[in-house]
Amino acid sequence: MRPKSSRSSNQLLRSLRSLRVLVAHPGDRDGEELVRHIQRIGCQVQAIWPPPAVLPPTMDVVFLAVRPDVSLDHLEWIDGDDDPVVVAIIDYENPTVLEAVLDIGAMAVVGAPVRPFGVLTNLVVALKAHRESREQRQRIRKLDGKLNGIRRMTKAKTILMESRGVSEEEAYKTIRDQAMARRVATEDIANAIINAEGLLNFE
Amino acid sequence: MAAGRDSDAVRVGVLFSQTGATAVIESTQLNGTVLAIEEINAAGGIDGRALEPVIHDPGSRPSRFSVLADRLLTEDGVNVIFGCYMSSTRKAVLPVVERRNGLLFYPTLYEGFEYSPNIIYTGAPPNQNSVQLADYLINEFGARFYLVGSDYIYAYESNRIMSDLIRERNGAVVAEKYVTLDARAGGFDAIIKDIKRTRPDVIFSTVVGKATTHFYRAYAEAGLEPDMMPIGSLSTSEAEVQDMGVAAACGHVTAAPYFQTIDTEVNRRFVKAYKARFGADKATNMCCEAAYFQVHLMANAMRKVGTDNTDILRPALMGAEYGAPQGQVRIDPDNNHTYLWPRVGRVDDEGLFAMVRGALRAVKPDPYLVTHSLDDWSAKLATVGS
Repeated sequence: MRPKSSRSSNQLLRSLRSLRVLVAHPGDRDGEELVRHIQRIGCQVQAIWPPPAVLPPTMDVVFLAVRPDVSLDHLEWIDGDDDPVVVAIIDYENPTVLEAVLDIGAMAVVGAPVRPFGVLTNLVVALKAHRESREQRQRIRKLDGKLNGIRRMTKAKTILMESRGVSEEEAYKTIRDQAMARRVATEDIANAIINAEGLLNFE
Repeated sequence: MAAGRDSDAVRVGVLFSQTGATAVIESTQLNGTVLAIEEINAAGGIDGRALEPVIHDPGSRPSRFSVLADRLLTEDGVNVIFGCYMSSTRKAVLPVVERRNGLLFYPTLYEGFEYSPNIIYTGAPPNQNSVQLADYLINEFGARFYLVGSDYIYAYESNRIMSDLIRERNGAVVAEKYVTLDARAGGFDAIIKDIKRTRPDVIFSTVVGKATTHFYRAYAEAGLEPDMMPIGSLSTSEAEVQDMGVAAACGHVTAAPYFQTIDTEVNRRFVKAYKARFGADKATNMCCEAAYFQVHLMANAMRKVGTDNTDILRPALMGAEYGAPQGQVRIDPDNNHTYLWPRVGRVDDEGLFAMVRGALRAVKPDPYLVTHSLDDWSAKLATVGS
């Protein structure tokens, strides 16, 4: 029976033809074959070699040839949240090359000699992995922030409770009332309390 | 001056099933291939060298296609193969032609998303038939579709595309049912019952092979009305119509680049030659027409370069044109597929297709197109007839 597709997978495939792709590969037969096939898929393609330190604007995907003799250390567009998806093109599978593939954060791999079959699938798999990774990183940052906020609130409440001999509820109310009166966030009051305590207790 | 039979002959492989589930349609492709080869030889062959077909019957089984393709390219002295109908058989042959650097000419509609430097695709991917069919069916009958297909990749992908197009027009997919490739007469009873219950505007069928006959006959036996709720198809051709009989076929719709009824001098000559060779009762269809013109394309290219060596022959095929029965066709160098002339036809009471929509110009193939849209009018067809 036909597998059911999810909405997000569907959306991803529909957006293929709006992708801007850079092929960072020598202009040899393999490179040309790859460029032509990505054009067949319908993406806008540019090609360049050696790989540039800085990318042309708004690149979504980079197919990057990992060559043992070409350094990738200077590339500024690797592995950040807003950086493009990287698909590595490899002509060897030894650990030297593999480490480089992992260091550049490649989400999929195409083997040389480049065959058309598999390029589309690797592109799509890399896009999905990249998107999920980015979403997860954003979520983690948000959760970290929330957790920190809770810790600081607890600490501020404890300071108030100890210095004024009040209950936790009263401590929280104090913080909240101060925040409202000064029109700032409760987190700011909590931070102020913590900072003040640090200053006042300076030995 | 007919070309002589000598050791200078150019051996070409022919791989169409003469037995098995898809023999009905594939044997017409074999016929189209043979007809073209005989025409070429009668006109002097390729600079005096006759084309010599080496014909094997893979019996509709992908594993046999794979074995026989390899035998053709290694033992039988062949470099070019004309063959394949079902996608599974093409997939089985692809690695073989790539490994041996042969050349497969594939004359059948399919689901797209493929490219090989060792295959020339002369049948329609979805952008050359699906949109055109959907456009006609939705405009003439409505956008509530019931999808019935054979249980394999071509049907899944065609249904995906059709579902998108239907949703674009705020229509609905009433149901999506699959039957096995070897489905028998009774295998459609439950589906027909459900169709009667749900009353869609259109039935979109991706049933292929012998099962096509069983499906259309089951529809007719249930007393359903093609004028109200036609079966629309991309694959039901004159060959399937002959197999199922006019009574079961009449009134149903097919989108294809070719119908026997195309009213041009080139096509009339082709149909006449085909009937003279294979029988006055035999009809031509989209699959045998593609099988026919692809041989001519190959022969013309070979005349230019003097060899069937793939790396030398292929560049001569890029952009090559031919006056095919459907119209002037051209191999697209971007993707090894062919500019074709999409059409839509309805089966008349003689078992032939009356054209209701025709292309104004050849449509460029776009096998990697994911999202089709009825709003894209660049490939819109002209209304034909009354």
